[in-house]
Amino acid sequence: MDDTRTTTKIQELTYELKVEDVISKDIATVSSKLPVSLLRDILYKKRISGVPVVNDGKLVGIVSIEDFIKCLEQGEMDALIEDKMTKKIKTLYADEPLVHAVMKFEKYGFGRFPVISRKDKKLVGIITKSDIIKGILKKLETAYHDEEERRYRASHIFNDIIADEVFLKFQYYVEGKNFDRAGEAATGLKKTLYRLGLSPEIVRRASISTYEAEINIVAYTDGGEIIAYIDPHQIKIIITDKGPGIPDVKKALEPGFSTAPGWVKELGFGAGMGLPNIKKFSDKMTLRSTVEKGTHLEIIIKLSDYRNGE
Amino acid sequence: MKLTKIKEILEADVLTGKYDPEIEVQIGCSSDLMSEILAFGKPGSILLTSLTNIQVINTANVADIKVVCFVMGKIPDENIINLAKKNDVIVFITKLTTFESCGRLYKNGLKSCSYSNLDK
Amino acid sequence: MINLKDIVQKLDLKVVTGNIDREVSAGYSSDLLSDVIANAQKDNIWITLQIHVNIVAVANLQELAGIILVNGRQPEEATLKKAEQENIPILLTELSTFEIVGKLYELGIHGNRR
Repeated sequence: MDDTRTTTKIQELTYELKVEDVISKDIATVSSKLPVSLLRDILYKKRISGVPVVNDGKLVGIVSIEDFIKCLEQGEMDALIEDKMTKKIKTLYADEPLVHAVMKFEKYGFGRFPVISRKDKKLVGIITKSDIIKGILKKLETAYHDEEERRYRASHIFNDIIADEVFLKFQYYVEGKNFDRAGEAATGLKKTLYRLGLSPEIVRRASISTYEAEINIVAYTDGGEIIAYIDPHQIKIIITDKGPGIPDVKKALEPGFSTAPGWVKELGFGAGMGLPNIKKFSDKMTLRSTVEKGTHLEIIIKLSDYRNGE
Repeated sequence: MKLTKIKEILEADVLTGKYDPEIEVQIGCSSDLMSEILAFGKPGSILLTSLTNIQVINTANVADIKVVCFVMGKIPDENIINLAKKNDVIVFITKLTTFESCGRLYKNGLKSCSYSNLDK
Repeated sequence: MINLKDIVQKLDLKVVTGNIDREVSAGYSSDLLSDVIANAQKDNIWITLQIHVNIVAVANLQELAGIILVNGRQPEEATLKKAEQENIPILLTELSTFEIVGKLYELGIHGNRR
């Protein structure tokens, strides 16, 4: 970003934001009938340099630390605030754009302006230069976060990259026979797909399919890998292992058919539902296997509702 | 049904997760086979199971199941609890059996992930 | 005690084998055979998705009142044969475990006290 653009953005914000968006509403006020001496505590404790003077909710003046010091010098601490305060005061309406406040600060050089409601003219807060800066910074920060989040979405990655074909590749290694780590690939992929802004239903289908495939690698093989390719139209997940392979692929696809050893069953799998589940949750499933060589499983989930994730 | 009510019905303890008594759970499902839950479990449901290993949490996570309740007084080990915390899965434990837990929840109006609406 | 015949009729269960004229004490729901062996009690009605022949042996061992297979599952051939031999009622439902248990509960069948 260059300087001119930054300035423009801040100027824009001063028109966008209203005075009431940035003011401090939790403010100290004093009654005009009190002696000036009481101001010492208020100004000191609150660390402020001026206090609005209010009678029955209505703003009647403003008294500043300069007024207080003057009284102190002249030994007039017992004087009433109403005799020492500034009565002709400049105010801002709560619903005015922030740029009006900026202009008034420039014009009058005051440290603060009381802010009143347009409807009943009652005091609603006070605005200082630092309130304006804080308000703008906060707004910039929010805008920045929104932008960050927006940039995280895959749809924008795909939109921003110029190429005839774009795809993202995520690769996971799966350890065989280690049930303590089974599921790490699927849960990792799930988080990744979410961050890419895919719809929850798509993410769920992809991660359930991947999880079942991962369980198969862990339960039956010495290890393998899972690679997910994501392009604007589909998620393709390729699961490969190095054996022992499936002797009868057709049989393996039958619901309820299982060759799972007892330990797999006791862990809540091995009921012959893994491959049927993958088939159920994917748009296309291809299984190839060679005994002693390994198994190659390809899962496709279409992204026709890609934009729904946004 | 609010989580606080489920907790009361099951006389359950909360072990982990972002427990909020106001969270709504509409659907119950129960199995000790995780593939069954993957196939039929619905997003946002509560899973009741007597199986206690980390795959229950992984299953809940990939199937978008919000709450896992371990029944029969089974106490999940530290790995299970840590994984649940990491994935924002809420974990309940109850001394009741699966049968008693499901029965009470159903009787109090929790719906089932029934067979008829299973299509993806 | 509730008669299994009444349960079958009220919940529209399909009887594939076994004598259903017997009493049910309580219900037990589990898909882990070892768990059923350890915790089910005599005359329990057992709700499971397991269809393997071993379920008959477990039911026999624990003197269960019958087995309900959920989610539209059919017993394996060997399971059916063994159940006929041992006179273990096998009943089928299209409902999920959660729902069939709920309906049994509404008929007054509760879980075992622990």
